[in-house]
Amino acid sequence: MSREGEVVVDQVWKRFRVDRGRQLLRDHAKRAHGKIRGTAGDNPWRWVLRDISFSVEPGEAVGVVGANGAGKSTLLKIVNGLMFPHSGRVQTHGKVGAIIEVMSGIHSELTGRENINIYGNLLGLSRKQVAARFDEIVAFAEIEDAIDRQVKFYSSGMKVRLGFSVAAFLEPSILIVDEVLAVGDQSFQQKCLDRMRQVIQGGTTLLLVSHDLASVGATANRAIWLRDGLMMADGPVDDVLGGYRRAIERRAEESADVQGLVRVVDVQSQSLDGRPVATSQDCRVRLELESDHERSVRLFLGVSEGAATPIFVVRHVTTIPEGRTTIEIELDHLPLPPRSYFLWFSAYDRDDKAELTAWQPIGPFIVSGNMRLPPVPRAIVRLSPVFVAARWSKVS
Amino acid sequence: MSESVTEPYSQPEPPEPVLAAAAERGADWALIPPDVAAEPPSELRYRPVMHLAGSIGALVRSRAIVRSLTFRDLRSTYSQEVLGIAWALLGPVTLMVVFTFLEGRLGGGIDTQGVWYPVFAYVGILPWTFFANSVSGGGTSLVGNPLLNKVYAPREVFPIAKILSATVTLLCATVALAILFIIDGRLPSVTSYWVVPLLAILLVFAFGITLLISGLTVYLRDMRHAIPLLLQLGLFLTPIIYGMDEIDEPWQNVYVAVNPVAGVIDGMRRCLLYNQAPNLVFTAIAATAALVWALGAFLVFKRLETGFADVS
Repeated sequence: MSREGEVVVDQVWKRFRVDRGRQLLRDHAKRAHGKIRGTAGDNPWRWVLRDISFSVEPGEAVGVVGANGAGKSTLLKIVNGLMFPHSGRVQTHGKVGAIIEVMSGIHSELTGRENINIYGNLLGLSRKQVAARFDEIVAFAEIEDAIDRQVKFYSSGMKVRLGFSVAAFLEPSILIVDEVLAVGDQSFQQKCLDRMRQVIQGGTTLLLVSHDLASVGATANRAIWLRDGLMMADGPVDDVLGGYRRAIERRAEESADVQGLVRVVDVQSQSLDGRPVATSQDCRVRLELESDHERSVRLFLGVSEGAATPIFVVRHVTTIPEGRTTIEIELDHLPLPPRSYFLWFSAYDRDDKAELTAWQPIGPFIVSGNMRLPPVPRAIVRLSPVFVAARWSKVS
Repeated sequence: MSESVTEPYSQPEPPEPVLAAAAERGADWALIPPDVAAEPPSELRYRPVMHLAGSIGALVRSRAIVRSLTFRDLRSTYSQEVLGIAWALLGPVTLMVVFTFLEGRLGGGIDTQGVWYPVFAYVGILPWTFFANSVSGGGTSLVGNPLLNKVYAPREVFPIAKILSATVTLLCATVALAILFIIDGRLPSVTSYWVVPLLAILLVFAFGITLLISGLTVYLRDMRHAIPLLLQLGLFLTPIIYGMDEIDEPWQNVYVAVNPVAGVIDGMRRCLLYNQAPNLVFTAIAATAALVWALGAFLVFKRLETGFADVS
């Protein structure tokens, strides 16, 4: 069997200089002097990748997740051959195409047509290949009317669409995508994800870096989790993303020292009959608040999956006295599949709308039960994580 | 790059509790990296393999990229200007006018062997302008270039594209030479075919110097300021205003070896203006020097290449 599309990363290490700030002769002299005397001073190197090994089979779609600075982009650049590892070895079989950051290849003095030709060449297509795909690229980018206009007169959305569309038609054996899905409007994002999925179905290996865990989950079938240059996990996408989300939440929990004028002293959640919170059941969240004096407030409570963007938010206007107050919120038919979530909270003054407590995580919210999200048709790329009980019946 | 001894990584990684729990349940995807060494074992060190034929092959495969970069460069330089590509002419022509004026004021002290001075000067200015354009454009083509860690191609494509666009500029500037020939009522000599090998020598030399400077500039950003200064010096240290005869006979060979552009210009004057073949000794020395520079620069460049994306 041909190994086209295979990626082997074997014990790869990479380091960068911590500081390339000042490069005056004085600094170099000081450094050289320190080296001669054996007092090297601060360690100038920082390891950004440590002992990374994995291999990707042809046709696999692998998502790489991790916090900012975990080494994800560096890893992809090394796989792509743009950077060289310090130690270790990377092997790729077949043509590598990368969509790393789409804007820099687009030259604003040139027209859209010229840019497609040039950028296509820069990404590794021959002139003939660009010509063969030209119409498709233009249609995908939705810039038919503006194709002979200079790119500096494009809107920023058009520019991004232009860049992505060229890259989308590369047809490599290994496609590397680094955090480019946050571009364009919603419908274009959906189109890009569709296109990516189409490319994968054609047998292309995909390496994807994204902070949008939902799209990683929808696109990849395997995930690698990096933290501080180390591989924390490598396995089925749901397991790894689950672990990653829980780690984020745990960290948020550890730092959940709620600051503000209205403080959350304690959080508890359970179902109405005192059992653990479960999918499609009613539940109750109990907040113990502390205020410096009596206030008329607008309270917000949200549930999220490890990110600041909540799945839903409920709001209540009330008055709280000085000292401690216990507030109960009942949520009917909780539409969340079993998973760990996080509760977020904020408080505003009712009258002048001033922020009393900033939007912040206050504690975990664990939903149990055995309801699962149903498998979705492949055309759906992002499924909102909401569980809705449904009864189907044949009427005639 | 210096190899400093790295201290052991100061903080050992605390095991991720989530992963520890998962691993306890028997999940094989949860890797708990307990003992990653502070540094990679030295036998794993990545060593770029220097392979001249392989490098040249990769360069040939990247010709579409080179062509695109050249086009992009020319298009973006000239298409937005009122005078457009005419600027390619104005630079060398202005130099020629200034030199002619100076030469006249100084009382015609320069021996052109009977050739009208503007033609004499312009034949020298053309190769030099090409060389200067290559070095100043190509020398800074890597540092701060956003495409450097976006486009996968041998890194020399960026300086090479600049050399090619300088070549196009040179061809445009040649129009002025033709006009000068017509004004002077002069026909090109029968030995003019020598221009081809001379240009080849110039191209090879420009390739070497441009590559070397572009690579060094990534690490030594000061070069950006040094390049214009050095080129200005070179303009006067090369026989452009004056002829080769101004240099003492015994030093001429050394001079050409250090500065092959001098040999090229002398050869061009002989074959275009004096109906002679170029001085074969000079030409051979210039050719050898250019080749040595180019080969050496290519090797140095390839050695530096691995770090470009990290630094730039």
